[in-house]
Amino acid sequence: MTEVDFTVEVCGMAGDGTIAVGGLINEAMSLGAFSVLGFDSYPAEIRGFGRCVTNSRIGSSEIVALGEQAHALISLNDEQSRSRVPFLAEDCMVFFDSAPPTKVTEDKSLLSVLPPGAQIFGIPFGNLAVSAAGSARGRNLTALGGFAAVCGISPDLFREVIGKKFGSKGDHIVSVNLKSFDAGYEYSKSVFANRLGNIFSDVESNAASPRVMLSGNQAIGMAAIDAGLKLYFGYPITPATPIMEYLAKYLPKQGGRVVQMEDEISSIAAVLGGFYAGARAMTATSGPGFALMTELITHGVMAEIPAVIIDAQRGGPSTGLPTKTEQSDLHAAVFGGPGDSARIVIAPTNVSECYYFVLKSFQLAEKYQTPVIILTDFFLDNRVENVVAPKASEEQKACSNVFPEESSKDNYQRYHYSSSGISPRAIPGMEGFNFTATGLEHTEKGIPDYSPETHSRMTEKRHQKLFSALVDLKEPEEFLSGDSLDVGVIGWGSTFGSIVEAVQRLRKSGFSVGALKISSIFPLHSEIIRKFMAKSTVVLIPELNYEGQLANLIGHLDSKPVERLNLVTGTPMPTSVIQERIYQLMEVLAQ
Amino acid sequence: MSRQSFVIIGNGPAANQAAESLRSQGSEAKITMLSKDSFRGYLPHLLPDFISGSIGEESLYFRPHAYYKEKNIFLRLGQKAVGIDFSKRRIFLEHREVISFDGLIIATGGKPRIPEYYQLFEDLMLTLKTPQDAKLWISKLKSVDSILMLGGDLTSLSLTRALLKMGKTIQFIINEDSFWPIPYSEEIYKAVAQRLESKGVQVVHCNKIRRVTQIDENLIEVDTDTCSVRTGAIGAFFGLVPDVRFLVRSGLDIDRGILVDEFLKTRFEDVFAVGDCAQVYHPALRNYWVSIGYQNAATLGKIAASNLLGSDLEALVAPESILDVGGVKVNTSWWTEF
Repeated sequence: MTEVDFTVEVCGMAGDGTIAVGGLINEAMSLGAFSVLGFDSYPAEIRGFGRCVTNSRIGSSEIVALGEQAHALISLNDEQSRSRVPFLAEDCMVFFDSAPPTKVTEDKSLLSVLPPGAQIFGIPFGNLAVSAAGSARGRNLTALGGFAAVCGISPDLFREVIGKKFGSKGDHIVSVNLKSFDAGYEYSKSVFANRLGNIFSDVESNAASPRVMLSGNQAIGMAAIDAGLKLYFGYPITPATPIMEYLAKYLPKQGGRVVQMEDEISSIAAVLGGFYAGARAMTATSGPGFALMTELITHGVMAEIPAVIIDAQRGGPSTGLPTKTEQSDLHAAVFGGPGDSARIVIAPTNVSECYYFVLKSFQLAEKYQTPVIILTDFFLDNRVENVVAPKASEEQKACSNVFPEESSKDNYQRYHYSSSGISPRAIPGMEGFNFTATGLEHTEKGIPDYSPETHSRMTEKRHQKLFSALVDLKEPEEFLSGDSLDVGVIGWGSTFGSIVEAVQRLRKSGFSVGALKISSIFPLHSEIIRKFMAKSTVVLIPELNYEGQLANLIGHLDSKPVERLNLVTGTPMPTSVIQERIYQLMEVLAQ
Repeated sequence: MSRQSFVIIGNGPAANQAAESLRSQGSEAKITMLSKDSFRGYLPHLLPDFISGSIGEESLYFRPHAYYKEKNIFLRLGQKAVGIDFSKRRIFLEHREVISFDGLIIATGGKPRIPEYYQLFEDLMLTLKTPQDAKLWISKLKSVDSILMLGGDLTSLSLTRALLKMGKTIQFIINEDSFWPIPYSEEIYKAVAQRLESKGVQVVHCNKIRRVTQIDENLIEVDTDTCSVRTGAIGAFFGLVPDVRFLVRSGLDIDRGILVDEFLKTRFEDVFAVGDCAQVYHPALRNYWVSIGYQNAATLGKIAASNLLGSDLEALVAPESILDVGGVKVNTSWWTEF
């Protein structure tokens, strides 16, 4: 059986239909039972100008990281596509418009900068679309048809997903798009008859079925609804906005409400209010919005009010790089805010975990009565994967609030000391369980009290809760490990896919390397992490931030210094960079 | 001052030698090679050996892609020039791109020539100019054992040798029009025929092919004015015709190929033509001569590159040494190798 691992990029200007074509490729290949990981990048500015690029990696085995070198490039705008040339494989197939409306000078030509090994396929995208469907608007579909023909992908896969994508716009729109696709397909079958490939035709995919194509943000929205979310409060910000858009569409149908607030401060305040009142509530933001929420997050810590907060990280600080990815909010999520305000911070590493971590976050927030922060990032939010359809069990959806015993009625102490630090939480309106909730330090009854004894005990209690939470938090997970390792790589968030792939490649070459995934950023399963570090001669922590924020957090767990690999390029961590760094470390070890 | 830009149209021996010479002589100009073919430069005289399996495909190509990157030469494969405006020094490509140049070397080579009177049967004939053609031969030879060769140029004789080595049965119709611009004399005809027959090739003596009929996928019947021949495949070898059609209205002087002086210059400043696509003026002969063979083409490519950089080198290669023209002796050099 042939294995396939194929990356295709689509590049164009905003408005060229670039993202649409990338999406159709993902959907079609998913329908063909391949594993797919897709990621789009687009300009920060509003539609109308700027480069759009989609990257789809398609495999017969599970794909865990983004493709670094494209095997095919579909260029909907040659001038913009020139920027993709460094990322093309040497023998990359390049599909371009061979009959653009105006002449092109060399400095704007894609073909003038292609490597000589590139296989070029000139297709008159616009002309074919006009002939087939009466408008050049379908030129992106014509390009897609050419790609399908040359790569030997069944056109029926594309026809089905085109029908689904445009079905809601009526039969006419479906028809013109299908005509444009077919025009490109038939043209390429005929003109490139002796150059047609069958990259995918004799491949039997290993990917488990059935699967659904989801982005990280969609998975988050879906999980929130499945968890029984009642209230979503938010303020739009890239890359978190799609979560609100998703919920605005689907949550009201489940009886919930989505409210766009005036800012992030009011958003988190409303979330705290919602949970305080007993309803599951959530907000999603990015770095700048998260910064605004900080004070009220600590209010949730102090008043022991649950909250679920998605921090979709992007390049920072400040407004930073709105449409670029980074993992630089870890310090802010764990430590941000006044006082000793420990809270739960978790970080999914893939789309499937986005679903299950959000689902879990509501139970964590309820049980431990504290804000739970889920750290995602632009790459994880926007990438799509065809995942095994996520489904929440009744147990996973169940409310995990620790309600007070009936016996404590009329003598209820909201902040009662306990060995776990967890105090039973009454919901306002429960008769006989009245209490005061305040951001001021308080007694077990909730009465403000600044005495040294109270503050010491309450601070201890709030932190004890967090340690208790470790039993419900996912333990660090070893991948491809062994009893002892030359290099142990520790990762978190969206970077972990690249780490696993790098380690996989190196282990195939006989290197003694392994990987540890940390999903619970705070509190930490320190003992497990310490053991992994101890058995590794060298510990490497790749992160998409400058300061090495995870390395700072866990570096003290072992006596030897950790090796850091920090990138702030705004792009996902390339597997090859990790691989190269491990090679370098191995070389040093060998000396 | 902006960096100079030199363009070479072609990717054969002449073109590649020109590019290499430009770079090796210290030019820091941008060098672009344009080729309508999508494959790397190859050694055409090795195609018969590739067909017979004596060498692998990789041996056909004389340079890896990495070479061009290393030399900072932009090799643009599969990109066809469709016109040139010499007054504005611009080249028009099929995909509507416009390239400017400060210096230009045209080395488009030639393409297989099928005489007009055979064009009716062209679809039933195989030619041999490119690796793709060779692959078609390889595919066809898997199912046929007999081949009829039409023509008599260098390539046909070389291929015949390879096919005999493979145990194939060869019939040969020598055509007087096969080695443009050198005509076959009766003397040459007899000498070639004798040589072929001594190797076991059946030479079919005729003046004209009347009809070619495909009986089935692997059987073709050829009726001549003297006999009827049955064969599995037909190879057509009538030399090459310069590939200069796209330049017909460009203002260049074109006879069969582009006419250049002894310095390989065309009538336009800084524009040169070399290899199979050019006819070179020879002051001693007071006539134009053509280059045949990759070694000659490469030599001309080198001279053109030097002259583009300011030298005044003459293409001193005597016609006698190119084709060994000069009666029977001249021609024996190419067919006696067989």
